Amino acid sequence: MNRLPLLLGIVAALAFAALPLVTTSNYVIGVGISALVFTVAAAALNLIYGFTGLLSFAQLGFWGIGGYATALTVVTFGGTFWQGLVWAALLNAVVALAIGYPTLRTGRHAFVIVTLTFALLVTLVARDWVDLTRGPLGIPDLPRPSAFGHRFASTAHYYWVAWGFSVLMLAFLYALCSSRIGRTLVAIKQNEPLVRAQGISPMPYKLAAFAISAAVTGAAGGVYTFHLGIIDPLFLDFYYMQTFLIIVIIGGAGSFWGVVAAGVALSALPEVLRFSADLRMIIYGVILVAAMFVMPSGIAGWLRERRLQRMREALR
Amino acid sequence: MTIDAVYLLQLTLNGLALGLLYALIAVGLSLIFGVMEIINFAHGELLMLGAFAMTFALPVMGLLYWPALVVAVITIGLAGYVIYELLLAPLKPDEFERSILITLGLSIIIIHVMQYFFTATPRMVDTQYGFEGVNIGSIRITWTRVIGAGAALAAFGGLYLVLRHTQFGRAMRAIAQNREAALMVGIRPRVVARNAVVLASALCGLAGAAIAPIQLVTPYMGQFLIFKAFALVIIGGLGNIPGAIVAALGLGLVESWIGGFFEIVWQEAAVFLIMIAVLFVRPDGLFKSGGMRVG
Repeated sequence: MNRLPLLLGIVAALAFAALPLVTTSNYVIGVGISALVFTVAAAALNLIYGFTGLLSFAQLGFWGIGGYATALTVVTFGGTFWQGLVWAALLNAVVALAIGYPTLRTGRHAFVIVTLTFALLVTLVARDWVDLTRGPLGIPDLPRPSAFGHRFASTAHYYWVAWGFSVLMLAFLYALCSSRIGRTLVAIKQNEPLVRAQGISPMPYKLAAFAISAAVTGAAGGVYTFHLGIIDPLFLDFYYMQTFLIIVIIGGAGSFWGVVAAGVALSALPEVLRFSADLRMIIYGVILVAAMFVMPSGIAGWLRERRLQRMREALR
Repeated sequence: MTIDAVYLLQLTLNGLALGLLYALIAVGLSLIFGVMEIINFAHGELLMLGAFAMTFALPVMGLLYWPALVVAVITIGLAGYVIYELLLAPLKPDEFERSILITLGLSIIIIHVMQYFFTATPRMVDTQYGFEGVNIGSIRITWTRVIGAGAALAAFGGLYLVLRHTQFGRAMRAIAQNREAALMVGIRPRVVARNAVVLASALCGLAGAAIAPIQLVTPYMGQFLIFKAFALVIIGGLGNIPGAIVAALGLGLVESWIGGFFEIVWQEAAVFLIMIAVLFVRPDGLFKSGGMRVG
């Protein structure tokens, strides 16, 4: 087994933990929080798209439901932030099962389109169900969470929350992806009839992958909401979905560490470059189109190709 | 609550107009899926470009409706040609996810380029007809709506004739029905796919041009419509053109009726709930006839 990426990952995680000790700039720490949370959401998308081969646009909807569920738990129902995250995850898992069951019976084309429509539906509901979500005005002034009598009031303190959450989630996803379940998912993506022939029913695996991916994305949305301190329908801007997709595609769909590395790099990049919003989206679009033509399997896929090439040369 | 007949008729007419518009978009998506087995995510943006083409062509044509409409349709047909040759031609039939991601990138680029140059400010479009209209009893419909609906109906009639009775259209149906057999009798998939994309784009341009004088024109107008069109294509059955038209008209009516009596949330949610219900009952769409389901 190749343990090098895991070691590097642990070192990187520890290095990330030290960010608030190195800088006092709230802006830099804020970018750090975005990088951590986006990486988790992208890793969840990677589970369903990269590993299982089902392109899900519903991640945007789960992200939004998670954000709203967490915010509403705290503001409307008087729970804590942590309860909110649990509710966000549970609610999303249930929703994912409810959409996934009828849709996955039909095949991957319908799955893509249904998840896409679902994402839009969530946006419209967030905007129009004013009684619950307060409509376009949103829910401002979300209080920072506290635990064991300590309140994570400053951005630097909240960074630790985001860090702990991300490391936990990434570790969970890593364990899942590198387990027998992860290998089964890859097998379903590569050759579903063969998986059936081996006596494995693909449906429970697909549904489970979708539900877990939804739950993780929802919790990530919750953490990000409380970083922003406000939630409104803009939280469901398609920009987020594009960011997750580009991270997964550039990193390499189906490569756990490729996506994590791309997540950290690409979340920081737009902040560093400081383009206007329109220009940034145009660049994202161009990157997406170009990546699909030049390296459809991402940087990780490209590296793998090169390694295989070298092995073939050596054998010749 | 008493139901006022005039109000109901008004809602029904609005619903039909809306349904015809949905149908123009959904038919194009269905046509492209049938021939290439891909989904064009940027289809809504073609509609938006059609509306903008109409917006810019009208003043040049001295507010004359028909010449501007023709210009818009031809412009968007050409845009479809360029998109096909640049982006879609290299795709193979089973690269569904790749097609979605490429056209998604294209859609982002188009929206934000338009917004960058023309800003997000909604535009009003004036035509030679202004706000004049016809009166049916106590209901009033503007000419632009009547003509839009008429143009859509004419387009469906034309599409039917083309697909049924010309070599051009028969080749498309042949590819959609059986790719290998179509190849064997000498039909070139690349040419047919290009024709299908151009035809679908032109229909979308027509929809955009017809809607421009009715609604406000913004760079985002395509996005709201395309999601519904996607759902319609699923409800009608992927690649099933008559199914898409019927589903579109039905949705237009249902949305309009719901919008008239319930909160707006339900109007927006209707399409999704219908789609999920249809997938439960008939996974291959409402109008799948015959054939055997394997698996």
